[in-house]
Amino acid sequence: MAEMWISMGPQHPMTHGLWTLKVKVDGETIVDADPELGYLHRSVEKMGERRKYFMNTTLTDRLCYASSTTWTHCYALSVEELMEVEVPQRAQYIRTIMLELQRLASHLMWAGAYMPDLGHITGALYFWRDRELFLNLLEAPSGSRLLYNYIRIGGVKRDLPDGFEQKTERILKLFEQRLDEYADLFENSKIFRMRTEDVGKFTAAQAQNLGITGPNLRGCGTKFDLREHDTYEIYDEIDWDIQTREAGPGYSDCFSRYMVRIDEMRESIKIIRECFKKMPAGPTMASKIPVRATGEAFRRTEDSRGEALMYVVGDGSDRPYRWKIKSPMFTTISACPHYLKGYKVADIPAIMGSIDICIGETDK
Amino acid sequence: MSLFSFCKAMAEWTADYMLIPVFNFQAGLFPPFSNPAGDIADWLETDGGLNTLAWLFAVNIAFAIGMTNLIIVIHLERKIAARIQDRRGPMLSLRSFRELGEDLAGNSPSWRFKQNYAGIGILQNMADGIKAITKELIIPAKADKFLFTMGPIIFISSSVFLLVLFPLSDRFAASSAPAGLMVIMAAFSIAPIGVLTSGWASNNKYSMIGGMRSAAQLMSYEIPLLLSMAGVFLLAGSFDPVTIVEQQQQSTWFFGLPMWNFIPQFIGFIVFMICILAEVERVPFDLPEAEAELVEGWTTEYSGIRYMLFLAAEYIRGFAGAAVCTILFLGGWAGPWPVPPEVWFLLKVYLILIFWIFIRWTVPRIRTDQILELGWKKLLPLSLINILIVIFMVEIYPYLSDTLTLLPEVF
Repeated sequence: MAEMWISMGPQHPMTHGLWTLKVKVDGETIVDADPELGYLHRSVEKMGERRKYFMNTTLTDRLCYASSTTWTHCYALSVEELMEVEVPQRAQYIRTIMLELQRLASHLMWAGAYMPDLGHITGALYFWRDRELFLNLLEAPSGSRLLYNYIRIGGVKRDLPDGFEQKTERILKLFEQRLDEYADLFENSKIFRMRTEDVGKFTAAQAQNLGITGPNLRGCGTKFDLREHDTYEIYDEIDWDIQTREAGPGYSDCFSRYMVRIDEMRESIKIIRECFKKMPAGPTMASKIPVRATGEAFRRTEDSRGEALMYVVGDGSDRPYRWKIKSPMFTTISACPHYLKGYKVADIPAIMGSIDICIGETDK
Repeated sequence: MSLFSFCKAMAEWTADYMLIPVFNFQAGLFPPFSNPAGDIADWLETDGGLNTLAWLFAVNIAFAIGMTNLIIVIHLERKIAARIQDRRGPMLSLRSFRELGEDLAGNSPSWRFKQNYAGIGILQNMADGIKAITKELIIPAKADKFLFTMGPIIFISSSVFLLVLFPLSDRFAASSAPAGLMVIMAAFSIAPIGVLTSGWASNNKYSMIGGMRSAAQLMSYEIPLLLSMAGVFLLAGSFDPVTIVEQQQQSTWFFGLPMWNFIPQFIGFIVFMICILAEVERVPFDLPEAEAELVEGWTTEYSGIRYMLFLAAEYIRGFAGAAVCTILFLGGWAGPWPVPPEVWFLLKVYLILIFWIFIRWTVPRIRTDQILELGWKKLLPLSLINILIVIFMVEIYPYLSDTLTLLPEVF
């Protein structure tokens, strides 16, 4: 068969959003790939420049439908640094709990979306069933199930409701049992490993050069996590480990990237439990939050998908003068020709699914 | 009484009391002109005419039974899949009609269905069928129109053809051929041509890759499949399903238990089960219609009743594949007395089908190069080993045991 270009997307089961992957195939083998982004561009940065600082949390919620709290948190952190606001201790603990719950929900969303990519519909329903549990937990303090708008500049919207700790503990226990059950269904399954092992390989050096961060980098065995290396909230006070996996010496494949996320979910459970143990009483909102700000600030956080970075410039008015968002997925998707070439057409969903695409934050 | 003698009696009755009088009446209508109706009436009185009519009845009965089973299989798949996935599956059933006359708000009359969770969903197949029939049949503008319509015809007719080829018991057979199983496997192998045709004619790159994958898959599973069947043929010395099942009934094991073929030929049974899964294109071998990368593979451009018939034909192939497996390895219709053999046969077929449904919803799909590797590197040697074992059993072991019993006499 002669070489031909196949255009996958913007509406294709593989894409998980709106983008186009043009692949040049020789029979079933991928010769070349060309990602096209921008179908979902909503000019969030420009919209943010016309709104007041505190209004922008609704926009950052909508950056990523699967992981909205982490993006709002990144924005809140950078604006707090710009305004020099001190966040109360209790609010920091609540934020950490919410961030880890969101990370769990986001990783479950990813795992559920990844299974149909491999032709495993049951996996999707199992993982999404468990995601519902965490959505219930996120709903309890914030009042909504998808776009929480719970983390605000200077703290959180309101304190945790009564019985939240017991409810969380119950769900975490149930979820831990289920993760052990799923091990037999997924990572110990021969066919699952056949599909994911030695597919979509890239080395740690390659990943660093291409700007691939987050679980995809930790899947190469690199111990790099912004929660520890550029610490924020109370991650330095809590005992936790960076989870890494590697497929071989210094490179990752789909299976190691899958496993690193499963390990991260277990680690998130640990963090949440410890937060509840150490959480002090007190206010959940800073007493005085200025409306206007001058100067510039930038903070980066560990999003569920990698390194989220926000840069805010204030010119003394109540609106940001410039607001820049750096999305982890934009660089990761743009690098896809490097890890797609040489594999089969059937590997495209397996590889592109394993890097956990979220087009909302990619196109901003 | 066998199915054929029953149909023969039915044919005789129909010919005597309905067809021959009607044709004779028509023959006498226009005396000056020659009329074929009289010839048909004469032909129906002969043995050949009656046999033809009887076969026609038998084939129709087998087809009706196959189609009933198809509906049950689809329903079973949906319900079991739902239970595996912690869902309830389709609920629309006759009980949903209870509220006919007035709806939940008390407004009458209304055609709304009651929302109840007690039904088992038997109306779901009917609803799907009605939906498929009422949808538009789209032929893409740049498609090859002739081949685009021929593809479904090849695929579906070859699949429906399978229904009349296997017997439900030694007395319940719509067709009997000495090379019965060879005919079944030949009919099975026609379908990939239909897949390739419709994949190419759709003028869609995904469809074409799907069609090509179907051909590649055929290369990988067909040889180990037939080689694993060869062991059974050697043991029975025949291609005829009835002979194969009789051989399994006669051979016994400890305590007079029947030794069905899956015990002596366990390797062949495993190879056959894997290959027949690939043959009927079920997960994990449904590469031609891998929805994650190829949208819907070779069925992407098909709509309406054509797409529905593709789905139905796949289930028919699944049913036929399970039936072949039952005949070859699970003793066919053999079973204890009070249950009729036809029911035993269907029970075994459904056992295999339920096993396949469990597989379908618990494993991911494998890749094209992996299925080629599996077929050529693993299943082919295994099926050859199976043939060696059978040759030892059939040819060498009796000779060897004879020699061993003769040894004391020699010395």
